[in-house]
Amino acid sequence: MKRRLFVATLSATSLVGCGPVKDQLTTSLYGVLNSVQGLNHAIIGTRGMARLYKESDISSDYRIDSLDTPSDTRYADAARDNWAGYRLPVIGLVDRPHVFTLAELRAMPQLGEITRHDCVEGWSVIGKWSGVPLATILAMAQPKTNARYVIFRCFDKDETGVEYYESLDLHEAAHPQTLLALDLNGKPVDPDHGAPVRLRIPTQLGYKSAKWVRQIELAAAFPTQSKGGYWEDQGYEWYAGI
Amino acid sequence: MTEPPVAGQRVYRHSVTARVTHWLWALALLVLVMSGLQIFNASPQLDASDKSDSARRVLSFDARQAADGSTVGTTTIFGHTFITTHVFGYTDDGAGGQAERAFPAAVTLPGSQDLAAGRVWHFFFGWVLVLSIVVYIVVGAVRKDLRELILRPSDIPKLLPMQLYYLRLRKDPPPHGTYNPLQKAAYTVVLFVFLPLIILTGLALSPGVDAIAGPLTWLLGGRQFARTWHFTLMVLLIGYFCTHMVLVFSTGAWNNIKSMITGWYRLKEHDGVGV
Repeated sequence: MKRRLFVATLSATSLVGCGPVKDQLTTSLYGVLNSVQGLNHAIIGTRGMARLYKESDISSDYRIDSLDTPSDTRYADAARDNWAGYRLPVIGLVDRPHVFTLAELRAMPQLGEITRHDCVEGWSVIGKWSGVPLATILAMAQPKTNARYVIFRCFDKDETGVEYYESLDLHEAAHPQTLLALDLNGKPVDPDHGAPVRLRIPTQLGYKSAKWVRQIELAAAFPTQSKGGYWEDQGYEWYAGI
Repeated sequence: MTEPPVAGQRVYRHSVTARVTHWLWALALLVLVMSGLQIFNASPQLDASDKSDSARRVLSFDARQAADGSTVGTTTIFGHTFITTHVFGYTDDGAGGQAERAFPAAVTLPGSQDLAAGRVWHFFFGWVLVLSIVVYIVVGAVRKDLRELILRPSDIPKLLPMQLYYLRLRKDPPPHGTYNPLQKAAYTVVLFVFLPLIILTGLALSPGVDAIAGPLTWLLGGRQFARTWHFTLMVLLIGYFCTHMVLVFSTGAWNNIKSMITGWYRLKEHDGVGV
């Protein structure tokens, strides 16, 4: 994994030097500063529809955001024979767990939309993403009433062995434009852009659109010690509508 | 004006609300500029377009290898490239070295490259700025203090004479109230044009806001264009700040600063009171 996105270090080194006391102060300071995230989420939320573009608006080169092709061996295994061995389990707090093959996902009704991808770094790119609305998958799996989050576990680990993952709440996941994308600009998504299945949520910043999804889990809370995603654990906001 | 103002007289010029909000937004703007430059460094290009488009690039900061193997920093404005090593493009990374980064560590928050932390600072102080402006305007309107500071049609003929006075081409300033016509023009533009626009252009960068208020982003020319406006307004506000500093320090620094702390101001010759 190559990390192009600048990794946050909300550690003492970036602000006040070293030492556990200062460490704690920095953590509390960022805790206070970060308190507005809930306010932003409550006010802005995920309520509108992302702008739709024309074919002629599509960027000639879809810039790769943050991470490129996983070096994971599991990824190479799954990719063999045109993803014949790829399976996407939908598990956790659901009444009807499912396991999808890529062919099954492709056989479902597809939604294709030309939308803008806004990167947290400040750039944007327009592309046509097609795939299965996540709402369709959720409706099939039937989340239990105590399910709050949809956690996407992905192929790829960083150099320290930390697994790449992301999460959305049920409202964001069921947004009509939130897709499990299989195609980009009319062709199967390539490995750099998240093959074979990539989450695409155009109402939020790009880092929420997890690549290389290998498992979907419905849960009542984030895993222990988790802030809800790989980038969130590096200090980025969980709510990425802003 | 109930009674004619006399030079040397002490008047209560700034309400508690005005003083508190003034210092709050001074702090907020400082943090917002520094954290904004930190965020900008993550993608140091500005385009006049919706999606990123190098053909419509207005400003970019880059670093490249020179013929002698050293690294130079460059600034490109409307296609014109300038060497700006150690100032813009290739600058202090906050960890004792030089790196490919648009703005140096001294003017970013945090100093070292840390987009996530820059965003956390930016969004918190964005709220401080918004709330302090809202409180200032609402309280100022209710107490009618704002009337003294808003430019009115009758002030417009006085703008040129006031400028001539500042340029020492005229002996006396035109008669005016608490604030002279140029001050009123500056405060009115900053308060009702620059500050609201810098907030709106910032909001337009957010995909969640764009999904709710699409016409806003569209009116600004798209997302990257909104980012260009947001940056431009920052430059304008810094320009205003520099002018503000020159005038604060050249027209009785201590009297001016004290009045923004205690509220009490000692009138000088030509100073008026009221609208």
